[in-house]
Amino acid sequence: MLEAAGFTVAEAATGAEATEAARTVRPGLVLLDIQLPDTDGFEVARRLAAAPAGGPAPVVVLTSTREARDYGGQIAASPAAGFLPKDQLSGAALRRFLDLDQS
Amino acid sequence: MSRRLRAALIAGAATTMICFVWSSRPWPAPDLPFLISTAIIALSFLAAGIAAWQRWPASRLGLLFTIVGYAYLLPPTLSNLPNPLAFTIGNLTATVSGAALAHLALAWPSGRLRSRFERWVVIAEYAWNLVPAMATMLFWNPAFSGCNASCPANLLLVSSSRPVYDAINAASIPVSLVLTGTVLVLIIRHWRSARGWSRRAMTPLLWISVAVIAVSVAQDVTGNLNLAIANSVFLGGIAPLVLLAGPALVVADTVRARSARGAIGAAVVDLEPGAPPGRLRDALARALGDSTLQLAFRLPDGSGYLDTSGQAVGVARPGPGRAVTPVADADGAVLVHDAGLEHEPQLVRLTAAAASMALEHSRLQAEVQAQLEQVRASRTRIVEAGDAERRRLERDLHDGAQQRLVTLSLALGMARDRAAGADPELGALIESARKEAKEALTELRELARGIHPAVLTETGLAGAIQALAERSPVATTISAVPDGRFPAAIEATAYFVVCEALANVASMPGPGAPR
Repeated sequence: MLEAAGFTVAEAATGAEATEAARTVRPGLVLLDIQLPDTDGFEVARRLAAAPAGGPAPVVVLTSTREARDYGGQIAASPAAGFLPKDQLSGAALRRFLDLDQS
Repeated sequence: MSRRLRAALIAGAATTMICFVWSSRPWPAPDLPFLISTAIIALSFLAAGIAAWQRWPASRLGLLFTIVGYAYLLPPTLSNLPNPLAFTIGNLTATVSGAALAHLALAWPSGRLRSRFERWVVIAEYAWNLVPAMATMLFWNPAFSGCNASCPANLLLVSSSRPVYDAINAASIPVSLVLTGTVLVLIIRHWRSARGWSRRAMTPLLWISVAVIAVSVAQDVTGNLNLAIANSVFLGGIAPLVLLAGPALVVADTVRARSARGAIGAAVVDLEPGAPPGRLRDALARALGDSTLQLAFRLPDGSGYLDTSGQAVGVARPGPGRAVTPVADADGAVLVHDAGLEHEPQLVRLTAAAASMALEHSRLQAEVQAQLEQVRASRTRIVEAGDAERRRLERDLHDGAQQRLVTLSLALGMARDRAAGADPELGALIESARKEAKEALTELRELARGIHPAVLTETGLAGAIQALAERSPVATTISAVPDGRFPAAIEATAYFVVCEALANVASMPGPGAPR
């Protein structure tokens, strides 16, 4: 769906893989599931924000099958740009985050 | 005490008293104060004898009180009779009551003399009250005592000699004083070595002995020195009434035992349920008036006993003046108390029964407490298991049905986008299917949240309560929520309590925001 919307997509299955991939791939945007097998999305978002490795930090969008209110204040406290429930995932929605970041 | 013995004692006392009154004719007798006080003292000792016999059938106290009573009454009765033999015997035994009193005082409160030495002292007392009397009788002319021809003859008279009579009397005084002093020292030693219950029985006797000895020494000395005061109403009639304190001891001891019995009951009733054994011991010791009382328990390995203060107690050999009473039905508990209490078997039995009851009560209380604890633990386990099950259900819903619905919703979204240009009707159909899937997802989320709120698992109590407050239809302020994480069951309970409270507030109309 994202590729159809014009994005180039690289996948990572765990938090550790995501951190590693962010270093090599240098993505503009990271769509980060909160529920990960090894850690949670909040932790990965912190790591991504802390280690820009020479370039600008990627825009991180948290996502989950659950709703934002299921995570209380954790989303607001995270360095991530925002939260997008999985069922509302679309290229347009992600682009809005990128636009928001640039403006 | 058998009824026959009691009847005999009462009849004996009554007969002797009638004889005494009859023998002291013609009335009014010149020595009336002496006669009245003698009658009162003798009667009180005879009555105390019956009472003591009744109360302590196994003890010699009843016999000793009775002996003192007769030793007071018989000699004056005999010496008042117009018969030379009775007259001689009466005068010979005039002071034997002193020896009987010493015997009684040394045997108090058990009725037994405590050592061979004391037995010798008592024998010496009896002998010394008879031997000098015998010696003086050999030279005593009744006329010396103002008795003219109306008196019967002294059958023991060998030679009427006033100087010899006076000399023997004077010589006997120092020996009498030494004997009396010995008796007093022994009584003081008894008092000093007595503890607890016995001490309280000995203290009044000590003071009574001092008073009685003072009066009797005053009587002896003034009589032997032929002082006029010897025959005064005070010294002959009033001062001897101090002896009434002896029979009063029996009454006091009876009252003491009776009030202790009442106090034991009250002490156990007042004891708060499940009080430690130390409190029980204190309450019993106070009620009993035996500060030395120990409540001891057998060690689990049977190697000995420990009292309530943790001190080892030699139950097999409790030591001099101590006695052991097992507490029935209480496994291995014993009372170690003053041996003097053995003369109050009923009181000791009552104390042991009270202790047994209180210990049994404590044991039952502990059992109930333990059972309650088990029930509480099992209830906690049930709650925790239920909570874990709800969390599992919520996770299953999230990982399974919810994920599939999300995927379905996204797929329908893509299908709609592709169909929209080519076939708007199909696009609208797919869009309506996507909305249905979204509705289903929303409903499933609500259902999962009702089973177990994910926010509680994810963020803990603070975040979950915050989320509740935000979702609540009435404006809600959170004053304080502890930040840290708690056991899942506690977090869930607290969460659902708040949830229920907010739902109640929302369902009831009224002013004010919940806090």
